[in-house]
Amino acid sequence: MIGGRRPLQGRKIGDRRVRVDRPHSPYFRYTGAGMLTAKEAATAPRTGVALVWSNLRRSLFGRPLSNEDEAEERLPKKLALPIFSSDAISSSAYATEEILRVLVVAGAAALTLSIEVAIAIAILLTVVSISYRQVCRAYPSGGGAYVVARENLSQTAGLVAAGALLIDYVMTVAVSTASAIQQIQSIIPAAYDYRIEIAFVSIALITIGNLRGLRESGNIFAFPTYLFVALAIGIVVIGLSRIVTGTVPVVPPQPEVVRPGVEVLTIFLLLKAFAGGSVALTGVEAIANGVPAFKPPEAKNAANTMVTMAFLLGAIFIGVTVIAHAFAILPSEDNSGGPTVIALVAQSAYGQASPLFYIFQGATALILFLAANTSFNAFPRLAAILAQDGFMPSQFAFRGDRLAFSWGIVLLAAIAFGLLFAFNGDTHALIPLYSVGVFVCFTLSQTGMVRHWLAVREPGWWWRAIVNAFGGLLTLVVLLVVASVKFRDGAWLVLVLIPLLVLLFQFIHRQYATSRRQLALRPDQVVAAPHREERVVVPINGLSRAVVQAVNVGRSISPDVRAVLVVDDHAYAEQVRDEWARQVPGISLVVVESPYRALTGPFLAYLDVLDQAWTPDKDAPITFVVIPEYVPRHWWERILYNQSTSQLRRALLGRPNTVITNVPYRGEEPAVFERRGRLDPHTPPDSSGD
Amino acid sequence: MADKPVALYSRVVVALNGGPCDDRIVRLVVETARPTKAEIVAIHVVEIDWTLPLDANVADRSESAQRVLDSAEGIAERLRGTLEPVLVQARDVGAAIVDEAVERGADLLIVGLPYRKRFGGDFAIGRTVPYVLKNAPCAVWVVREPMPGEIHA
Repeated sequence: MIGGRRPLQGRKIGDRRVRVDRPHSPYFRYTGAGMLTAKEAATAPRTGVALVWSNLRRSLFGRPLSNEDEAEERLPKKLALPIFSSDAISSSAYATEEILRVLVVAGAAALTLSIEVAIAIAILLTVVSISYRQVCRAYPSGGGAYVVARENLSQTAGLVAAGALLIDYVMTVAVSTASAIQQIQSIIPAAYDYRIEIAFVSIALITIGNLRGLRESGNIFAFPTYLFVALAIGIVVIGLSRIVTGTVPVVPPQPEVVRPGVEVLTIFLLLKAFAGGSVALTGVEAIANGVPAFKPPEAKNAANTMVTMAFLLGAIFIGVTVIAHAFAILPSEDNSGGPTVIALVAQSAYGQASPLFYIFQGATALILFLAANTSFNAFPRLAAILAQDGFMPSQFAFRGDRLAFSWGIVLLAAIAFGLLFAFNGDTHALIPLYSVGVFVCFTLSQTGMVRHWLAVREPGWWWRAIVNAFGGLLTLVVLLVVASVKFRDGAWLVLVLIPLLVLLFQFIHRQYATSRRQLALRPDQVVAAPHREERVVVPINGLSRAVVQAVNVGRSISPDVRAVLVVDDHAYAEQVRDEWARQVPGISLVVVESPYRALTGPFLAYLDVLDQAWTPDKDAPITFVVIPEYVPRHWWERILYNQSTSQLRRALLGRPNTVITNVPYRGEEPAVFERRGRLDPHTPPDSSGD
Repeated sequence: MADKPVALYSRVVVALNGGPCDDRIVRLVVETARPTKAEIVAIHVVEIDWTLPLDANVADRSESAQRVLDSAEGIAERLRGTLEPVLVQARDVGAAIVDEAVERGADLLIVGLPYRKRFGGDFAIGRTVPYVLKNAPCAVWVVREPMPGEIHA
């Protein structure tokens, strides 16, 4: 468009120029031949309600980010570590307690074995971390166990891993939130009564943080993680130095402490302690799932972050276990509101009245809340990969305003909170559901990696395959142990849920495959021009501007146009017929009297009759049902209008050879209808005689 | 006219021709304008020959003309800068650039100097750059297109 078409005079005679308007410029940008890219203004709200909603979202989640901003959303290692490792590192806050809680029933002497159990778990952690380092390098597109199992074992194995992972992530949110509330209880016992409310607030805050985008959530959540790590390492250093120097403090006995039992120490009990402590490994796989979130080189950065995470987790976990044993710290009774083992260990290192103790407790509670954050990153990513593969609804692959997978984030928050609510915020009731899924994933991914190395046979493949085979065997054993010892406590539920999820994934996949088949064009198919006849039926309720507009739209589709008035009042029908003949000549009006007062049924029956009356030797015509629709000015007016229109539209949706066309009338051009000639398509507008 | 120190420019007009030099010019101008938050006007002139009226629908129907400015706008945004794109039709490119700069009160005008590889390679000085150098009432920077084999930023 030429701007005003008025040439601007230059400094010299003859130097004239014309500025050209660029109407697309505020909304679009040409980025290639025939290609426009929408700008932020193109998505701006257009109504008052949409504007309020948009402003609310903007204030909660921040301004929308474009795809080009994605590179800046990538995480450097220092932010990726707290985001993807807070789950694993936070496990050190309760893993020791899970071991002690089992061993204590065999008496104080059995607690000595807690160190050996912790070392065994640390060895397992090392093997699993090395294996996942390899997963990061071999599958830099992310997806972790799901992708490894899908690519190297089978699609079903991949889905089993995915199901187990999704369950694991939900559990992580629920367990770590419940555990964080327990930490708060250690310093504020009254918090126990408000655990559901605290859980709701914390999950809501983490949800909002994650909906604000990856980098921003990283910035928000990094500090508590590093604070916890620093203070926990401080505890380990102080505690070990006291053990070495022989200055072990006496921890005052807690009234809520579990009394050592008199059961015989069996191999089963040891395995149960091992299974309990193996929760320390939960979250180790999260980095492998989120490799694409790292800054380039993604795989290398992810692999290095994995090593840092494993080192920190192992050091804190073994350190806390050694100190707990040396200081004779015992766990508190379930639901007693007593202090946790990590709280007592911190107390013994920093002193009960020390501000560092309270800061550590706060940091522990925070990192446990933030352990949930790891799941909030990993769950939506996995759900997105599953959605891309057609195993979950496609909405899960869409990224929201802030480039976050919003659907996955919201779904995770809803399920995790529902679970906490159902279990009344009790961690121990949830932990049996927890580690089974994790070890299913570990086993499948390790087995898949063995097959991967056997297939690619790149340099060093044999030792990598040995590490994965050893890891796979070890995690399989742990899986069997965990599943058997925790079976009655609730692990059976996970073993039921995983197959159910797999069936659900397959059902969704089949649905998408069916619709794709139905919609697909054969590659050799050349689309010809339509050969079927068309006719237009306009359902009306009287004569109005909206009806006239719909009739005119119908005339532009086909010359075969008829209006149908379904009515239960004969006198009204006659009145409309008279007006119609006078004001809309040339268009037939069919009046269908409905003595039973139904509107939709008789209209559909009339369409059926039209179809049956069609010449049998010709293809059935396409019937355009052009529905006039009055668009009210205000949203609240909508309940007053168009109710029967909506009903009719719903009834017509599945009808074969039928196209529904809505013609909204907004009342913008009343003058058009005031010109006599415009109602008659054969009369040109200029000859209206105005 | 002596050039002002870079930091004193407050309104810069930059002429773009859709060539490979545009990217370099836009980056340069955005970085130059950043310290003083100088206003940047990016102008692309579509030359209309005498067989057509000056206000013929040429530039608005030409995606490539629109793309020159859209691309510049995109580069500026990526560098966290803004520019005002102006599309102009004129009989003479140099005159249109100078007139636009005068009308907008520009204190710096930046034009690109293309390099042609044909016939052994040389800078295509053409008519526009000399005209601008001679007639612009403000500082003029000529940014040459990198020569083959030249390492450019």
